[in-house]
Amino acid sequence: MVIKVSNVTKRYGDINALDGLSLEIKKGRIFGLLGVNGAGKSTLLSILNGLTNIDEGTIEIFGLDLKKEIAEIKNISSIVPQNLAFYEKLTVKENLEFFSNIQKASKENYIKAIEINNLSEFLNQEAFTLSGGQKRRLNMAIGLLNDPQIIYFDEPTVGIDPKSRNDILDSIKAYKDLGITVVYTSHYMNEIEKICDDVAVIAKGKLIEQGTLKEILQTKSETLEKHFLALTSEVQDV
Amino acid sequence: MFSAMVKKEFLLVLRDKQALLALFVMPAIFILIMSVAMRDIFSQESIHFDTVIVNADKSAISKTLEKDITANKSFSLVEQEDASFIIYIPKGYGDENSAKSPKIEIEVKGSAKSDVIELFKAKLLKEVVDLKLGIITERLSEFSDEAAAAVSSVKLSTDALFDLRYNEKEEVPNATQQSVPTWIVFGMFFIIIPMSTIYINERKQHTLVRLNSMNVSAFSMTLSKIIPYLFIAQIQVWVMVAVGMFIVPLFHTPALEINGSVAGLVFLSFALSVAAVGLSSLIAVIADSTEQATTIGGISNILLGSIGGVMVPKFFMPETMQTLANISPMSWGLDGFLDIFLKGGDFFTIVNESLMLLLFGAVLLTVSMLLLNRRLSRGF
Repeated sequence: MVIKVSNVTKRYGDINALDGLSLEIKKGRIFGLLGVNGAGKSTLLSILNGLTNIDEGTIEIFGLDLKKEIAEIKNISSIVPQNLAFYEKLTVKENLEFFSNIQKASKENYIKAIEINNLSEFLNQEAFTLSGGQKRRLNMAIGLLNDPQIIYFDEPTVGIDPKSRNDILDSIKAYKDLGITVVYTSHYMNEIEKICDDVAVIAKGKLIEQGTLKEILQTKSETLEKHFLALTSEVQDV
Repeated sequence: MFSAMVKKEFLLVLRDKQALLALFVMPAIFILIMSVAMRDIFSQESIHFDTVIVNADKSAISKTLEKDITANKSFSLVEQEDASFIIYIPKGYGDENSAKSPKIEIEVKGSAKSDVIELFKAKLLKEVVDLKLGIITERLSEFSDEAAAAVSSVKLSTDALFDLRYNEKEEVPNATQQSVPTWIVFGMFFIIIPMSTIYINERKQHTLVRLNSMNVSAFSMTLSKIIPYLFIAQIQVWVMVAVGMFIVPLFHTPALEINGSVAGLVFLSFALSVAAVGLSSLIAVIADSTEQATTIGGISNILLGSIGGVMVPKFFMPETMQTLANISPMSWGLDGFLDIFLKGGDFFTIVNESLMLLLFGAVLLTVSMLLLNRRLSRGF
């Protein structure tokens, strides 16, 4: 296991964003994290990236204690936020160089990030001139610069065309082929079915189900979307 | 890491054309316009009246009066279309045999202010009375040299009649000396525009959170933003000084002179930029949108400017307002610049103002750093 989340609770005032959540993520897999809006996905990603503290429980990432070894964990992980978290007025090259320099990343990784995300021909273009799909790819490439062992994608295909979406999914599979563990959140069930090896469903800050995609689809003999809707509506009704 | 962040900030600011307009072009134009427009108001030279003399009387007396008026530097003889005052000496004015000579007529431009008209009348009255005294002296001399001497000893010049002393020497700036520091100070606080735009976009797009996930602290983020703006602010000061020294004189307006310590000017500029960056940083962190930041920034700039003597010079304000002005950091900066430009102050003259500005900036930067840290800890 590369990530072990044990009984984690995170409160915002009276609201439990995460409520005794436990889950495990295996090395070198693409892990799909599913949940309706407000289920706690973004809170979990913030916590796993050391951006938000937990109130209770423990988290280990590659054997490192999140509370005590946060700087080391940040060095081996990376996040690709849903928003386009780069500088629109800088060129693609300037953006990549900037994020590369602040992480002291190697030239090799810089080139790898460009190649995997097919950005070579746009290097000298200012980011605001890129298409929606190209911007998403730049956003993803930045996440690869520090040669992470684990990378988190927060709904990376929101608002883009099907062609660009497929390109992004191919890039994510390429990340897996590099040996990187991928944690992927999305509202699109067909994407999860297409790229994920393992799936966890959370609702109201709790784990509802976890397993391999294959197991879930075989035992439930229905589409992932139907299964997800059934699971989450049960929890909402409680 | 830090140099990469500073470089990024520089690139972003230099590509923001609106920001450069607000930081450099706007204050430069203000300096030019205000220096030229306020030239006469701030002028320490004697007032002069654009005048035309129409002498319909060809007597020796009226010719003497015309000559005396022409010789008086208060009256500038101009073409009729440019005249604010037309002095019409009617026919028969110099007729010594007439019991009652006709009055001099004065035609005044409609826009002339009443106090200026009164001053004009006083100046003209002096010339007329001098002329009449001369005539009386001449007549009296036919009867009594003693009486004539007594009358001729009457001097109507203010220098001869009054001894004017200032109880406290206060130097008043000329239009350029007032405009340059004013718009340097005001323009520098417009750093809020580029700073808040970049800061808020970074926050909204989660770029700051991403940087935080890359082990970049709120302290590094804030510090990396300060350095480019401090540098840009120094360029801003010297561009404005150059406008005052080299461009403003092209418009027949006094050039700016740096009479005091250049080292003091550099230190004061640095301290003022720390205060401006501190306020901008705080507003950028507090505001939720760039629109909100530019509105809050604009309003706070105008308020601090109007209190601090940017809109109306402090020496024009009543005493209570002058005291109130001291709460504005813009006033501290303005006083410091006037100490150097006008009073020829040395480095130590501006130390107090500079330290206050540094303290103001440091406090606001610390608060903004703490607030940013709190925002970042909320995650996505």
